[in-house]
Amino acid sequence: MTRGYLQILGVLAAAIIILTLLITTTPPAVSEGRFLVIPFGWLRLLAGFLVAVSAVSSSAYLYGRVKRPARAGQYALTAGTHLFIWSCILLTFYPVFFLLGVSFNRNDSITSPLPREGNALVRSGVLPNPADLSTVQYHKVLSETHILWYQWIIIALLAVAVLGLMTAAWAKRSGADPYRLERLQRLLGWTVFLACAALIVSITPGQFFSYNEAGERVPGSSERMIILYIRNTLLVSGTTGLFAVLISTTAGYAFARMRFEGRYQTLLTFVFVQMFPSFMTLVAIFYLMSYLDLINTFTGLILAYSGGAIAFASWIFKGYLESISPSLEEAAMVDGATRWGAFFRIILPISIPMLLFIFLLQFIGTYSEFILANTLLVGQEHWTVGIGLRNFTSGRFNTQWGALAASAVLGSLPILLIFYTFQDALTGQYQAGGVKG
Amino acid sequence: MRTLFPTIPVYSGLVVGALALMLILRLIARRFEWIMPWYYILPAIVFLLTFTFFPVILTVVLAFTDYAGIRNGQLNIGSETRVLEVDGNRLTIEKPRTFDCADLRNGCRNVRAVLYASGTLEVAAETLEGTVLTLAAPPPAGRRIESVELFLPDLGFGFGSTVLKVNGKEVTLDKAPPFPPQLEAVTLFLDRQALNRTMAGDEGNLITLKTPLPPGFEAVAIARYNDFGWIGLRNFRTIITQASSALLPVFSWNLSFALLTIIINTAFGVLIAVLLNNPALRFRALYRTLLIIPWALPNIITIQVWRGFLNQNFGAINRLLMLFDLTPNPIDWLGNPWAAKGAVLLVNLWLGLPFMMVATLGALSAIPRELYEAARIDGANAWQSFRGVTAPLLRTALIPIILTGFAFNFNNFNIIFLLTDGGPPVDWGTATARGTDILISWAYNEAFRSQGGLAYGLGSAISIMIFVITLAVSLMNFRVTGALREESNT
Repeated sequence: MTRGYLQILGVLAAAIIILTLLITTTPPAVSEGRFLVIPFGWLRLLAGFLVAVSAVSSSAYLYGRVKRPARAGQYALTAGTHLFIWSCILLTFYPVFFLLGVSFNRNDSITSPLPREGNALVRSGVLPNPADLSTVQYHKVLSETHILWYQWIIIALLAVAVLGLMTAAWAKRSGADPYRLERLQRLLGWTVFLACAALIVSITPGQFFSYNEAGERVPGSSERMIILYIRNTLLVSGTTGLFAVLISTTAGYAFARMRFEGRYQTLLTFVFVQMFPSFMTLVAIFYLMSYLDLINTFTGLILAYSGGAIAFASWIFKGYLESISPSLEEAAMVDGATRWGAFFRIILPISIPMLLFIFLLQFIGTYSEFILANTLLVGQEHWTVGIGLRNFTSGRFNTQWGALAASAVLGSLPILLIFYTFQDALTGQYQAGGVKG
Repeated sequence: MRTLFPTIPVYSGLVVGALALMLILRLIARRFEWIMPWYYILPAIVFLLTFTFFPVILTVVLAFTDYAGIRNGQLNIGSETRVLEVDGNRLTIEKPRTFDCADLRNGCRNVRAVLYASGTLEVAAETLEGTVLTLAAPPPAGRRIESVELFLPDLGFGFGSTVLKVNGKEVTLDKAPPFPPQLEAVTLFLDRQALNRTMAGDEGNLITLKTPLPPGFEAVAIARYNDFGWIGLRNFRTIITQASSALLPVFSWNLSFALLTIIINTAFGVLIAVLLNNPALRFRALYRTLLIIPWALPNIITIQVWRGFLNQNFGAINRLLMLFDLTPNPIDWLGNPWAAKGAVLLVNLWLGLPFMMVATLGALSAIPRELYEAARIDGANAWQSFRGVTAPLLRTALIPIILTGFAFNFNNFNIIFLLTDGGPPVDWGTATARGTDILISWAYNEAFRSQGGLAYGLGSAISIMIFVITLAVSLMNFRVTGALREESNT
């Protein structure tokens, strides 16, 4: 038994010694133009990785031989799997981490010289320099945003509600009365939703300004309006999501529960239409919107998005309804409810998770849409996040790298929060195979 | 609507129409019971017809026209020129170069024009009492007199005055002239009157109208519309003639991009999903949550940030590759056509892996655990049970996901436009079809960017080709999944 543990210790110690040797014997990185190069660095990287893999799996093997000798190979395999997945996580997170590093960096320019201090990774610019850590980029992109007093109140309310929700979730896990907590959670959830909606509606382009030398108000510059862009995007995505839910639920219900002449043909048309993303008819939508005087309005954009969303949403909702038994509504109708009453009082409440899924899917999809927004929205005060960032990358990209990163982080936050809050609702549908096509 | 309420925007017509529709629908439902299901579907149908189906039809129509930035159906204000002489339906214009019929497809045949009537009129007046000027004959009906100029012989120059009121022959002036004016010839300044006519043709500075001008309309100036019209298959012919420089390279890259992306993403997605599907693996929920992050960030933002990471001289990716001596020279990710293609695939792997992983996990969780149990009892090892149980069952479940992914990536505009912008330019390409342009970004370039000359019609023609391909893929998807077969039986 102890011999087994000693063997593990020996393997780990050997691995650490080899890794230390690999790192310490590394020749100093040489400067090649704008880059720092470790000659044959890839060989050391490979060797180090192999040493780590073999050390981890062999010590797991030895540990397995102590615990369950018959399955020692399984232990080694599992340890190797963990190491592999951690490498994948590292690679996946590297761009995210780097983006955060750039956004919290004092230097705004992508061309700023590499640091002279620190280890090879910092000096080569592969990792952000901890000495340059600063929030100056965030201050800069938010400097021309002026929040009104009642918006501060809404923000405070929002913060309290979010904190309350987190506390409730924590209390639920530690075993408080689930029924009362659920009511509280619902109340707080609505507060968060309504506060966000109020905030989104109340922000206006007039709140983005700065003062010139003469002390006069001048409109904010396009690189300092990320909050307005986020607000515009949230407004458009939220309304589109609501539209998609509102209009597709009745259609999905009719397709799932009613049998009528022409049902199959209509359904076929829906499926057919859903195959064409609306941006493919971009020219025609542009023509239609200029005819309707809706160029450069949110209304036009929302209508264009909704048109593309409804067929798909109806199709999903129909599939969902078919998976639940009609006995509930039939019982309600036997008790004297009308068709509409059964739909409104029975079906809608029980399909809230699905409606939430449709809403979120549409919301997130719309948030990342670029081509229609870029074609239909001309005025800067109507820009969405994507167009606002594009202004950085196509314009003074080199000198605004830090500001771009800070704007990108701010612009990603709403979707990141929503995605991880509703992660199960969002990915669960794919997991369960409920969504096809 | 417009003429009745000129200040309200056009789309309010939609609102009024919807309200009226609701009222009528209630009445109809009382009469015909069978219409009820349609009411549930109607909002969706109205939306689909207006914003999806109608644009599809319109795209097909526009593909056969020369609709473009310079032929957008609007009045061309810059084309205005003076009319020198009117003879029946033939006009002599001053500057044919400004009017520019040569810029249009068939000259000015079938193109609409606006004719402006004379703004000034010489008439005789009878008397002037105070500020009231009485004309010899009533002014032309339907024309507004804006001001009047009277000649004052005592001073030797004209006296101008705005008009307050016109009542029959009596014109009330703003102020009385200081000296008696000459009443034989009074100049009236009228509002500019415009008249629409369609032209039948042009020859030099001679314009022929389809219908002559009404009597009393003295045309002084003319401007034409930027009309567009049918050009048959010319857009498609343009695409075919550019086949070797645009259509073929773009199409083959589009196809290989979609195929390679789906192959690479599926390979990695399945690998990670199979590893995570092991119920004995600790932290698998945490791993899933962590690996999902590229999906949780809006791709419209992350793609643009990747542009910075892929910068040739200052990007993180090249710094990493150079530090470990993985490449002798920094790779020009966005400037070399082949490296740009690699960059697109790399970023698309980062973006698309979480979806493939989650979808595969979903497919894997549908495989009953008992099958693995049975395989283990039969003495199969991990590899054998993967080959015998997982692989065949996974294949059927993955095909619809792969086909959907293919259709999505075939038209993945965001990654191309935001990462490489379709570039870099290549020797064999055109200004609108460059190194990494796919069909949809090529169509966008033709239709909405200056290097394509805002050729909306040509863009629509390319869109139609994408329609056909997307349709084929989707039909294949339905054949495989049998999603519609179940429907037709019910």
